[in-house]
Amino acid sequence: MKYELVAGFETHVELSTKTKIFCGCTTQFGGEPNTHCCPICIGLPGTLPKLNRQVVRYAVMAGLATNCTIPETAKMDRKNYCYPDLPKAYQISQYDMPLCVGGYVQLSNGRRIRLTRIHIEEDAGKLIHRHGDTLVDYNRGGVPLIEIVSEPDIRSIEEAREYVEKLQLIMRYIGVSDCKMQEGSMRCDVNISVREVGSDKLGTRTEIKNMNSIAFIAKAMEYEFERQVDILENGGQVVQETLRYDDVTNTTSSMRGKEDANDYRYFRDPDLVTINVSREEVEELRGLLPELPTQKAERYVNELGLSETDAALLTKYRRIAEYYEAACEGTKNPKTAANFIISQIFRRLDTESDKEDFNIKVTADALNELIKLLDDGKIRMNLAKSTLDKMLDTGKRATELISESDMGGLDDAALLALCEQAIASNGNAVNDYKNGKEKAIKSLIGFVMKNSRGKADAAAAETKIKELIG
Amino acid sequence: MVTREEILKIATLSKLFVSEDELTKLTSDMEQVIAFADTINSAEDSTTEFDNINNLSNVLREDEIVPSIDRDKILCNARDTDDGHFLVKKRA
Repeated sequence: MKYELVAGFETHVELSTKTKIFCGCTTQFGGEPNTHCCPICIGLPGTLPKLNRQVVRYAVMAGLATNCTIPETAKMDRKNYCYPDLPKAYQISQYDMPLCVGGYVQLSNGRRIRLTRIHIEEDAGKLIHRHGDTLVDYNRGGVPLIEIVSEPDIRSIEEAREYVEKLQLIMRYIGVSDCKMQEGSMRCDVNISVREVGSDKLGTRTEIKNMNSIAFIAKAMEYEFERQVDILENGGQVVQETLRYDDVTNTTSSMRGKEDANDYRYFRDPDLVTINVSREEVEELRGLLPELPTQKAERYVNELGLSETDAALLTKYRRIAEYYEAACEGTKNPKTAANFIISQIFRRLDTESDKEDFNIKVTADALNELIKLLDDGKIRMNLAKSTLDKMLDTGKRATELISESDMGGLDDAALLALCEQAIASNGNAVNDYKNGKEKAIKSLIGFVMKNSRGKADAAAAETKIKELIG
Repeated sequence: MVTREEILKIATLSKLFVSEDELTKLTSDMEQVIAFADTINSAEDSTTEFDNINNLSNVLREDEIVPSIDRDKILCNARDTDDGHFLVKKRA
């Protein structure tokens, strides 16, 4: 029997607001325990939460960027559960009237992962378990989250990976979150079931909670898929439950039986009034959205003639895409700037967060100037490449590093002299070439390039050397 | 019809201990509560649209930081604290 994986995601994304969702405490990450707290975020009786306008705006932007509809009316509800990470014994969330409904995320294989909804809610506090006791820090309590709920449309681990990466990219582009999975500002709950290939009935699902790395999501899904297939093949039944993934043993284990939605006893929060998002505000927020990564990548391929791979690399980080666009402004070939960034600049950015920060010494304007020198024939590619390396080391501009005498090509007499010199001082290479070793000519060309400090035209040098050797 | 099992489940979710005597009484009480809700449900309802009871909407605040309050005050009502944290018994 062949089985297929069916998965849906609930993705929590921490919004980049300055203050919490219902009070003016800072959302800054870290800080001494319980120092970013007030009577509202520790749930004292008699306090009155007040919704942060920016949370609504960011959530609507997230919805618009993922093709959601924004209903005119939304409300806040209480989700009741008793655990020390929530001081009120309920979380303020949204149940049946969320801010955004029914969008989708488009994958590269053409499939659309439908979104059920995006709603806003408050984050819970942090618990540290220690010898039978639990220490509670409410600094994170009340930090605004959006929860992006997908339909069970994901059919493979590759699709899951792309879906999470796409969401992360979109949310970063529109500036509503930094989506740093390692710091917990983006976390996924993965719902998984399996079914026979060809069946359109959904199997019993399990939910793996709080995944904070794409690599772990992939591993956990693989493990859980195999586990469920094993159960079914041995005639058993999958039990609906909530699981925890252990990245050390690469296994999942039961946290608790899945509570039904009814058990959360959702009801409207009487402390918070209705939210109306006017059509004018929706259009205003739509106008604030930047060109999204997929649109950008398509434009790079269709209008600038880049390969799909290069377009994907350049649009993966918003800062890099903006840098690229500024660097190729007014240059002859948009591929030149792309090649410099992908080959020489990326080499200096080792980690994902290096690329995200994109802290380099060469401004887009300085790279643009270098490319224009190349376009105007004032320098050749070899010199441009070595100059860019020097620019990256020193932060100096091309015009400071390349002297006037290095600009402009080599005249014929100078090229001839260098070629003769190359032949005279590389007897072995000349003999090798004469004996049929075509490649030997490379070292002669190399000599000319080096001694002309990159000014010579490699193709012209090759022709001239061949003429001379005869 | 409310079963004893349902009452026990609700009690567990509400973190309540219910004795055998109370269970019998609560089961019949709950049945009456539900019958009451059924009566309300059967009343004519002219609209299924969302009712914004208090006619208020969009009471929002700007995203501006207000200083948090002193940690000693935050923790002053806690039964136990440790190293700036609330300290509670670990729960399964």
